[in-house]
Amino acid sequence: MDSKFFKLLLLGGAVRFYFCRTPLAPMIGNRVEFATPLNSHKRMQEGIFLLQNGIDPYQGDLVHESPLILSALSGLFQKYPHFLPIFYIILDVCTAALLYAMSLRFVKQKQEQQDVERKEYAKDTEELQFNPLDKFDIPELVIVAYLFNPLTVMSCIGMTSTVISNLFLAFFFYCLVKGLLLPCLLVLAFETVRSFYPIVLIAPLLLVFSRNSIRRGVAISVLFIVSCLLVAIANYFVLNSWNFLDGTLGFIFYFRDLQPNIGLFWYFFTEMFEHFRTMFLITFQLNATVLYLVPLSIKLRKEPLLLATVLVALMAVFRAYPSLGDVGFYLALLPLWKRCWKFMAHGFVVFTFFLVTLSMMGALWHLWIYAGSANANFYFGATLAFSTGQIFLITDLLFAHVKREFCLFNGQKILIDGEEARIVLK
Amino acid sequence: MARMYPVAFVLLLLVALNAGANLGRDDERFHEELVVRPLSGDHVNTYFQFTTRWHYGDKDNLYHTQLTPRVIAELLQQFAVKELHIGLTQGLWRYETWGYPIVEATSGAEMWAWFSGANLTNREVDRQWKELANVFSGVLCASLNFVDNTNSIAPRHLIRPQFMPANGRRFVRYATLPREIVCTENLTPWKKLLPCGSASGFASLLNSGHVHNTKYHSLGLKVRVLCEDHDEDNCIVELTQTANLVYDLRLFELSNNDFSLRRMFGMGLNGFCELAESSKIYVQRNEQGERYQLVPEPVHEVKTTRGGHSVVYSVYDMHEQFKEPGERLFNVAWLAPKSENRRRNLAKPSLPPVTVHRYLLGHGQERGRIVTEVTNSHYDTLPIMLQEVIPWYVHAYLHTLSIRRKPQRVNEYGRQRLPFKLLHYTPGKQRELPSHLEIGFTLPGQTSALITIDVDYLLLKWLEYPPDANHGHYIGSAIVSSQLPMGRNYTALPPEGHLFEHSFNATRPSYVLSLHTEALIVSLPTPDFSMPYNVICLACTVVALAFGPIHSVATKMIIVGRQASTPKNFVKKIFNKIFRRGKPTDEAAAECEELRAAGAAAVGATGMASARASISPGGPSGDQPLLEDLDEEEEEQD
Repeated sequence: MDSKFFKLLLLGGAVRFYFCRTPLAPMIGNRVEFATPLNSHKRMQEGIFLLQNGIDPYQGDLVHESPLILSALSGLFQKYPHFLPIFYIILDVCTAALLYAMSLRFVKQKQEQQDVERKEYAKDTEELQFNPLDKFDIPELVIVAYLFNPLTVMSCIGMTSTVISNLFLAFFFYCLVKGLLLPCLLVLAFETVRSFYPIVLIAPLLLVFSRNSIRRGVAISVLFIVSCLLVAIANYFVLNSWNFLDGTLGFIFYFRDLQPNIGLFWYFFTEMFEHFRTMFLITFQLNATVLYLVPLSIKLRKEPLLLATVLVALMAVFRAYPSLGDVGFYLALLPLWKRCWKFMAHGFVVFTFFLVTLSMMGALWHLWIYAGSANANFYFGATLAFSTGQIFLITDLLFAHVKREFCLFNGQKILIDGEEARIVLK
Repeated sequence: MARMYPVAFVLLLLVALNAGANLGRDDERFHEELVVRPLSGDHVNTYFQFTTRWHYGDKDNLYHTQLTPRVIAELLQQFAVKELHIGLTQGLWRYETWGYPIVEATSGAEMWAWFSGANLTNREVDRQWKELANVFSGVLCASLNFVDNTNSIAPRHLIRPQFMPANGRRFVRYATLPREIVCTENLTPWKKLLPCGSASGFASLLNSGHVHNTKYHSLGLKVRVLCEDHDEDNCIVELTQTANLVYDLRLFELSNNDFSLRRMFGMGLNGFCELAESSKIYVQRNEQGERYQLVPEPVHEVKTTRGGHSVVYSVYDMHEQFKEPGERLFNVAWLAPKSENRRRNLAKPSLPPVTVHRYLLGHGQERGRIVTEVTNSHYDTLPIMLQEVIPWYVHAYLHTLSIRRKPQRVNEYGRQRLPFKLLHYTPGKQRELPSHLEIGFTLPGQTSALITIDVDYLLLKWLEYPPDANHGHYIGSAIVSSQLPMGRNYTALPPEGHLFEHSFNATRPSYVLSLHTEALIVSLPTPDFSMPYNVICLACTVVALAFGPIHSVATKMIIVGRQASTPKNFVKKIFNKIFRRGKPTDEAAAECEELRAAGAAAVGATGMASARASISPGGPSGDQPLLEDLDEEEEEQD
């Protein structure tokens, strides 16, 4: 924690503060790429307004925020609406600080682990190992990637509730690295009841805290279920009704709102034949949750944090209502795997994908909705390409990690008959 | 606002008492009336009202109908319905120039009903409401079968009953179908409900060719059940059928502004319905009617003063006109003064005290703002209530609801707000419930109020769009209700009366007014309807793009192999492939063995087969490096 860290935080806050006073802020708050039915500021306002007027917000179809958040923020929304941007900026800066602390700790752990294993490493692999400078570089990269990523900046100035989700996720990561079981469980349970998909993060949590003991694992799982129930009950007491479960989790699972977003669901289920809908709904939800959970947990059992990163990234691609704020969050975690970067082959392709598709989205949206000269297929194409780019990034990271692990122990240059060998998966 | 309800109940008591006085037991009476009112701007309003009242007494008597149509009698046996209104309308009533109509209606189909009975539950009422709509869908050949929970609401304050609730709770349901197009197929079954059909009487004037040429036409049907002294077995059923038409005289393409019954309806009147107790034509003689000379000269004249506002009607009684036997046609002609020939009548009427308008702001298919403007041109403060039904395919944000005000003469709305006196809101749910909003406020005299609410347009499933998807989706009209202290422009029947003549001299402390705004049309974003298969395939492909690599990372082992000895040049690569495919199998196998041996020597693994066997597919592949040749052709030959 040096002065540079605080300077960066201040600068990040200042950037957000500057942009939230420009006309960009209300525009971003209305963009479908950032504001989905789950996280939009307008719906949060509506929910709080309904709550204050004694109307059950979950009776309708507009509000999908959890009751605890609604009631916690209602005072702020009603009394100090002018300070809301500042509030969101503070939350976002806290997220950055948590990520910084987390990565600091993570690099330290990695270096300790490296010191133990160093004997077994191959000779020419210094560039794959964490070096002493990484202690400063990686946290700094993480915080810069979070604070100055346009995606997170815009998500923050649009006042989407993704900012709150990101804060909780960052806190989860922090506790995971720090080894704080109870806060970790609670924050995960809260996020699970709120937006369903974080339930997959129970896998890295179990890997970290069970320490290969099944009994501990079962105990933690039970504890997780209990804390989920506790959170649900706490939510119940806000309105004294269970309507919120259908309004939040049910709404996510059944994908009732087809508003376009950057994900794969919206156009797929718009064009879906009604009698196949249920089947594909289950398939897509499985794909977003348990499909990759077990194989990746087995594969990455020694790297729970990488598992968590990949799961968060997959969540951002495959969840029902993804927003660019989610993408910004997992992009900030990539610098943690700086030592894998050498093997990431698709960096340029992914970057181009992101750049082109993100800039196309705005134009194609305008053509479809306002100019009427394009149709939904154009925008769908852009979101599809964006998802493809993200998938390339994730799989690239996984391959790079596998290769790094291999090369770390076997050397980077393996010769067969004096010729350089190729490393592939088979 | 609460003041008006006791008044309403007093009126209802009158209804019940009145009912007993007129009709003896088992008495059934039918009346037909026609009102002709010249309006400003060369328009003529003709209003037909056919009223059947039957003091049926016991419920068992409903099996033997005479004048009342059988459908209506059966209705009372099957449903707990006490009051039913259906309106089928084409066109828009212009309040500013035409004043207020005798019966209110909104463009398209509109329907509301009151249910009352012992042991009635909300669920039961929903079921009955849907069935009722289906019954009248058949009876009137209208698309009322589309009325269901997705477009029905239970109004809380705005719609008041016109009957005495005998016992049990009261329930009300209201729905509009603004898309409904009203045409001949509705008029014919509507006429069949009349005792004389369309053969004789005023109904013979309603020929579809002429009715549907009008600028505004509205068919109405109203059923009420009035029971005396909370007694279910001493009841009157009252069926009122109305047809409200507005003709534009300019469309007759005459050299002058004269018109006549024959001109408007294509033929004169052939008599009265023999079953009718009374059969009268009322012609308004003052205001816009003042300048016309009537031929034949009317015998009777009625002057009515209601709420300080006087109207003069000339009355033609058909029973008198057709006293002598013999067939003939009766015609009334309105002759305009000669000096007025071919000139439009531009005389503006006095502006009604309350007028409403509604429109949509914003562009694009993403979001918009519904604006309702209510103007009070009266000098005193008026209570205003507004009921809005926002269909489920439009999301309304209640927190954006605001009422701004301005003095009537000023053009721009400032920041001045009006507070709500009353707010009732049920949020909508996609594919299930519409949003239902009722607000009440007081509007100072000579002031306009602008009520705005922000909405989002939803993307629907591709099969939920109507055949012409880009035509847009309708938002039904809002209802604005008020209580006028005076009777200017007010022509509606008092709730306790059932004939048009009951509105004569019916001065009351206040007059309940309800107005309909324009219906809106929004264009929702549309998907491409032509390519569901492509979308499904493409989206699944992207999912597979993730599945494949993650599956191989998780299940496959890492293997080190010789760089494929293929040349870099693309053309040579292809040559190479073709060449190698031709190689004999044994040679390849031998080469393969050789390679494996070399590989084992290089890394020091114990053996290919054993290593493979020892590692499970899901296990850690990075731990144990393996060596293998990477050439795919050879793998195939293995």
